Amino acid sequence: MMSWRTCRRLSRAFVVLVLAAPAAAQSIDPSALLKPAADSWLTYHGDYSGRHHSPLLQITPDNVGQLGLTWAFQTGQTQQIKATPIVANGVIYLTTPDNIWAVDARNGRQLWRYSYPMNDGFHIGHRGAAVYKDSVFLTTPDAHLIALDARDGTVKWNVVIADAKKGYWSTNAPLLIRNHLIVGVSGDFDNLPGILRSFDPDTGKAQWTFYSTPPPDTPGAVSGGATGGQMWMTGTYDPDLNLLFVGTGNPTPVLNGEVRPGDNRWTCSIVALNPDTGTLAWGFQASPHDTHDWDAAEVPVLVDAEFGGAQRKLLLQASRNGYYFVLDRTTGKNLLTTPFATTNWASGVNEAGQPTPNPAKEPSRDGRLVAPDEAGGTNYRSPSFDPATGLLLVSAHDAYGIYFFKKEHGRYGWAGADYGVYGRGELRALDYRTGQVRWRHDLHGGAGAAGVLTTASGVTFTGDSANSAIALRTSDGSTLWHSGIGRVGNSPITYELDGRQYVLVGGGTALYAFALPTR
Amino acid sequence: MILVPLMRVLQITVLILGCMAAAAAGRAEAFGEGGQGRGQASPASVRPTPATAPQGFTREQIDSGRTRFAAQCGFCHGRDAAGGEGGTDLTRSALVGTDVQGDKIRPLLRSGRPDKGMPAFTLTDADVTAIVAFIHDQREQAANATGNRRTVDVADLQTGNADAGRRYFEGACGRCHSAAGDLKGIATRYQGLALLQRMLYPGSGGRGAGPAPKPPAVRVTLRDGQVVTGTLAYRDEFTISITDSSGWRRSWPASQVTYTVDDRLQAHVEQLGKYTDGDMHDVLAYLQTLK
Repeated sequence: MMSWRTCRRLSRAFVVLVLAAPAAAQSIDPSALLKPAADSWLTYHGDYSGRHHSPLLQITPDNVGQLGLTWAFQTGQTQQIKATPIVANGVIYLTTPDNIWAVDARNGRQLWRYSYPMNDGFHIGHRGAAVYKDSVFLTTPDAHLIALDARDGTVKWNVVIADAKKGYWSTNAPLLIRNHLIVGVSGDFDNLPGILRSFDPDTGKAQWTFYSTPPPDTPGAVSGGATGGQMWMTGTYDPDLNLLFVGTGNPTPVLNGEVRPGDNRWTCSIVALNPDTGTLAWGFQASPHDTHDWDAAEVPVLVDAEFGGAQRKLLLQASRNGYYFVLDRTTGKNLLTTPFATTNWASGVNEAGQPTPNPAKEPSRDGRLVAPDEAGGTNYRSPSFDPATGLLLVSAHDAYGIYFFKKEHGRYGWAGADYGVYGRGELRALDYRTGQVRWRHDLHGGAGAAGVLTTASGVTFTGDSANSAIALRTSDGSTLWHSGIGRVGNSPITYELDGRQYVLVGGGTALYAFALPTR
Repeated sequence: MILVPLMRVLQITVLILGCMAAAAAGRAEAFGEGGQGRGQASPASVRPTPATAPQGFTREQIDSGRTRFAAQCGFCHGRDAAGGEGGTDLTRSALVGTDVQGDKIRPLLRSGRPDKGMPAFTLTDADVTAIVAFIHDQREQAANATGNRRTVDVADLQTGNADAGRRYFEGACGRCHSAAGDLKGIATRYQGLALLQRMLYPGSGGRGAGPAPKPPAVRVTLRDGQVVTGTLAYRDEFTISITDSSGWRRSWPASQVTYTVDDRLQAHVEQLGKYTDGDMHDVLAYLQTLK
């Protein structure tokens, strides 16, 4: 028989449950990010791994040909959508510079919109939002971080990430790890230290700042006088190791390498940080002494898989410098370095697995013909890792540019000139163990435009460089479906609501939702 | 029967003459895009010329234009108007150079240039005026700036050996080009960076590099065996489009026809992987002698 005390405890628990239930259903608990539900896309990458892969199975290679438009959301803006949408509680959060929309994930209706006041920050693009409890976060062109009420878009707080007057801006989709909201900035046109900051997602209070390059004249600095190394892309996170992995950008001055001798750590690197303190656990520099604007900011993809005969915690990156890297993410030790796109700038690969820059390919007064060009062998658009095939799908770019530097270009900001000559985009499926290209799919354009999504059913979604969203068979790259929605500028995502799987793709300035026909 | 081909020949001749006239005029209009990456300026071998007329904007208009420009235009043209992701350097634009208080920029903003990826803007008159004021102010500053402008001067590119370049040219380029034929006078039409870009890949570099080359010839075979020829208008995985000899655009689903594209520029692409930097400068030195 149930005792009075037990009964009272149960009834209290019941009351708590009833009261807590609506909040639990709506408020986004940070722990949900560890294992995102099928009806959501909770981080820039969908989860913490950066694999941009979904376990959803409804849309398959056999039925994807029937995919049809369910709704379209027009931003009414002039800028192409580059952001990856966030989906939580049946609501999509979509961003462009200065703007965030909350959109009903079932029918594409706008729920609310917030527009940041006119500012003279750099409006180059925007990557996306982040969610936590009942807040959604937006970074701004003038390097502010804003917390909005996810229900109605009202501003909760607004803090400065970095000083826009000095030349910082932010396009960053923040990454939430427990009670840390981790935010990056950009700033290539000025000689600025590379910073990544963590804020309390409840209050906006600053928690820590990591410098990839320290403020000038910092004693003991390893950067060799370089600034830069901005962390403008969203990192990935391993909860077991409690390590955050972030790619860092190019050094500044950008093309003038003379005034910053040495490797210029930690620019063009992958760094592993403790998310509670911002302290560096290890770093791996993909491009020592970069003089070509090849950020190593691309997504560090976390995969647990066999390598060299042992099960390992791996980190994969197809980097802007045209090389594919495999690291042991526990230690940062390099396991593989091999090109995946046309390169001519390195004279070899050193013992640490770093390509060695050929000094003859540094920008010069009379110009150097360099592959890849400034846009790189790939860029920020998300790659995707498909566990079933072991393929890393990368939007690759074979390109040449000419690079110039002379003393008159000075030692500040860009400090040089470079011009793209020719480029061609191709989706490449890399065997994660070897970097060998298992298949290629022509993207029919100069540069890879879109990110990549794979699903557990064996379908790959991306965009070509011309006019279409496309679906391919992941095992061989053959085309299964396409829709001429205009040039895709973001990374497709997917979620399932009411038993129906949706695929979201940005085409031009609109967001399109595709699904199978309902009976 | 013979009339039709003859007329086509005449039309093609007219087209070619038109292209040559445009090339000879050395148009510095902002044709092309600056590139894919952040901060990439458009060809900077042309120094800005002073504006044709004083613009007479107030400091308030310029300052207000700075904010509006950053929000509306900086995305493509750079926040300093000197070129950015996909957008030309407006401080060196011929259109801006001949603009008087927005008479050219204003209609362009309203209509956009959809074929070049520039959208039409819906802005108030005051906003447009402010943007125009800011562009002109940036242009003046750029024209007066010394030192660290991102420029490549003709003198910077004189490191090659013309004799070595001629030998290389005869081996690598002689199959399609000749000094006495198509390249006669090339160094008169293009100099410096523009000539280098055109040499590496015609059509790259856009502004200053002259008009894009003639699109390749396409031969489309329909399912019933009929053959249609024209020049390439558009191609992706799913569509092939041509402009036929009477100027009409024709498209087919790529899966329902067979087609061949005579893309002669592919030879330039292959050459990019073969040049050493020395070869590149030698061939440029040789081309500079073809006046």
